[in-house]
Amino acid sequence: MLEMRHIRKSFYGVKVLDDVSINLYPGETLALLGENGAGKSTLIKILNGDYSRDAGDVILDGVPVHFAEPRDAEGAGIRMIYQELHYAPELSVAENLLLGRLPHRQGLLGWMIDWNAAREQAREALKLLNVNIDPMTKMRDLSVVEREIIEIVKALSRKARIIVMDEPTAALTPPEVQQLFGIIRDLCKQGIGIIYISHRLDEVFQIAQRVTVLRDGKHVDTRPIAEMTHKALVHMMVGRDIEERAEVRKGTAAIQLGDRLLEVQGLAKTGAFEDISFHVRAGEIVALFGLLGAGHNILTQTIFGIEKADSGNVHIGGHPVQVASPQDAKRAGIGFVPLDRKVNGLVLGMSVQKNITLSNWSTLAPFGIFRPKKEMHNTRHWVDKLGIRMAGGIETHTRYLSGGNQQKVVLARWLEANVRVLLLNEPTWGVDVGARSDIYDQLEALAAQGLAILIVSSDIEEVLTVSHRILTIYKGHLTGEFMQSEATQENLLHAAAGGTL
Amino acid sequence: MKSARNRSLAEIASLVVILTLIIIFFSQASPIFLTQRNLDNMLLDITTVGILAVFTTLLMIGGGLDLSVGSTVALCGVVIGALQGTWGILPAAAFAVAIGALVGLANGFLVTYVGINPLITTLGMLSIARGLAFVFSDGLTIPVFDSEGTQFDAYNTFTQFGEGQVFGIATPVFIMFVLFILGLLILQFTSYGRAMYAIGGNAQASQLAGLSVRRYRMIAYMLSGLSAGIAAVLLTSRLYAADPRAAPAMELTVITAVVLGGISLAGGKGTLIGTALGVLILTTLLNGMKLLSTSTDAQNIAQGVVLLLAVGLDQLRTRDINWTAWLRGSRLMPDGTKAIAKGD
Ligand SMILES: Nc1ncnc2c1ncn2[C@@H]1O[C@H](COP(=O)(O)OP(=O)(O)OP(=O)(O)O)[C@@H](O)[C@H]1O
Ligand SMILES: [Mg+2]
Repeated sequence: MLEMRHIRKSFYGVKVLDDVSINLYPGETLALLGENGAGKSTLIKILNGDYSRDAGDVILDGVPVHFAEPRDAEGAGIRMIYQELHYAPELSVAENLLLGRLPHRQGLLGWMIDWNAAREQAREALKLLNVNIDPMTKMRDLSVVEREIIEIVKALSRKARIIVMDEPTAALTPPEVQQLFGIIRDLCKQGIGIIYISHRLDEVFQIAQRVTVLRDGKHVDTRPIAEMTHKALVHMMVGRDIEERAEVRKGTAAIQLGDRLLEVQGLAKTGAFEDISFHVRAGEIVALFGLLGAGHNILTQTIFGIEKADSGNVHIGGHPVQVASPQDAKRAGIGFVPLDRKVNGLVLGMSVQKNITLSNWSTLAPFGIFRPKKEMHNTRHWVDKLGIRMAGGIETHTRYLSGGNQQKVVLARWLEANVRVLLLNEPTWGVDVGARSDIYDQLEALAAQGLAILIVSSDIEEVLTVSHRILTIYKGHLTGEFMQSEATQENLLHAAAGGTL
Repeated sequence: MKSARNRSLAEIASLVVILTLIIIFFSQASPIFLTQRNLDNMLLDITTVGILAVFTTLLMIGGGLDLSVGSTVALCGVVIGALQGTWGILPAAAFAVAIGALVGLANGFLVTYVGINPLITTLGMLSIARGLAFVFSDGLTIPVFDSEGTQFDAYNTFTQFGEGQVFGIATPVFIMFVLFILGLLILQFTSYGRAMYAIGGNAQASQLAGLSVRRYRMIAYMLSGLSAGIAAVLLTSRLYAADPRAAPAMELTVITAVVLGGISLAGGKGTLIGTALGVLILTTLLNGMKLLSTSTDAQNIAQGVVLLLAVGLDQLRTRDINWTAWLRGSRLMPDGTKAIAKGD
């Protein structure tokens, strides 16, 4: 029903898509895979009319089409879940969901919006993913993950023929993912075609029938998923083999744990979390795993001084610290990778280099004056180590990086900063398998140097492979603690869903 | 990025072209335009705007705005006039510079710590400073020279600020150059300059990266006020008088020049080279019009038109608009982000 043939696209002379063709049948889910910067988002944005194409055809039901803007694609029944969130922060959830089709009152009052009906319709739509969000809350008051969910619901709740999902699950935990997959299967039964982009390969095996792989803007292959193995898929994407993490880990010598670098005692914040006590030792990587709204993100924000705790205290390196602002936290030696790289992480109009070094001026600009050679050297180090790819070198503005590469930049900033404690929220949000493995290596190396690392992640695979110890949190309470050896998907999910041990 | 750099080069180039066209036009229209005398005068006339523009550039790159600079120049000048007799002229001048910094600090405090919008804060300060200038001078122009003949050396020194020469260049022009170079160095090589770009680009992300956003912003406002104090000393020295009506609507000229030079009202981008060109274009235009004996009204109108054009262009530049879509009312930017959900 949909064909994109021989699509080419360059940005400022750099080839991003080079003769890429895909096709999509009714009722199927096509997975679109590739490394960060391979051109996946660009391809679907061309389909949706966000970008123009330099060459190639888009054929919908046998008819060549040309969408000059997203509205045209929408008219043709194409729905898009973008990788980046799009919303009006000051409007309510209902308004965002029903934008452009808010229900109106009857008769003479026809010019007025019928808010009761709107709320009902929005609530109805939210039931799709079984989420409990009040339709009247403003978007800006939602957590990033909730906003992502609204984005998905928005696309699902309208009649569509083709739905394109660009990393919809990057911040979702297993229950929400399964919910979404249920919906996708229903939609497929109705003959709707789905293009599904993800870096979580296990998902792809669960939901897709066929897979198309891009590498460096070129079409590598399209295959039925049944013919593929995990390893073969990775090989196709990356062009080389990547070792499985868990096996590597078991081989390494027992880790050396030092003193308690981060210690949290009785931390509480009304409405968010209560009586949280835990510690992370030097050399240790601890993961905090919770489901939607469990309070884990706000907990790290509180430790970093963005939010204020009602009671409790935080010790760094054995000394109590008063952290009232991110500056205080940084001074105390805490680093923080926030959710939502575009709003909270990057200065989009600044270069990759300047973004990476933004938190390490004390070393790179002693007495306030930059040492350009050293700055460039350190930047290059991280660009190499994490495989940050961009079309124009380290002077490229981060605005022009692909999502996964932007994420690596934010992470690199804090790896570069001289801190002793790292709080990482979804550190690999949108990062491809290869780079993910590089990032885990870096985290392990940093831990080995004596840092304490706390990871908040919704990705259970990640939690299981990278951390030494796992804490589960449910409705603001810590509900479990597992050493890596005893943790399994089942017992983590059980504890994170509030089950007792 | 290559493209981004090319684009800013193209912007600079287009400013140079505009400047050249203006110069050609006025040199044809007025026989005295290109005379040494007029050029020297013009350069001297630029100094106040030029000095203010340097620090307004820093401030606006950091996402700030200061409308009070013109009134602050007047206030600082009056302070010199009022205190010269009792304190001596040099201490009075030094104090005036401090007053300028203090006014800037007050602006900065109100904007960053109290959280009043910069436009409102500095608009209020514009009014306050001008009012104080009238109060301290009783609304009269105060002569500033050695009326009692008791401080000959001090006044001699003071006059040098306005009329002396350094390396063969008029002192005010020299000081403007020095401050300009200083600004260039700050923006290019120091963490302070980097902070301005970062904060103006995305204040929230800068905060989360551990920068002291408030402090950096405070300092930018303070420097802006300080530069008004310096400009006031030079102006007073040059005119032998302190006038509460001095530097009328100067903030408008400064901001017009700066925005014309490519500094965005949203912050985060622009260079001092652009600002320099903006200042030159605007002041040349106004000077040329004066030579053709155009009325000040016409000059005001021209300046207003330039401001609106510059701001309009700034909007178009920052949006990076997909034109076909824009004409049909969609506000999606080509990288897929909506203008309203901009990251700051
Ligand atoms: N607006 C743009 N201007 C310039 N370059 C761009 C732009 N958008 C994307 N690119 C470049 O195009 C390449 C492909 O980017 P794209 O976003 O399609 O990657 P992707 O496959 O979606 O990666 P990810 O998995 O990280 O999301 C990248 O190298 C990126 O730097
Ligand atoms: Mg992408």
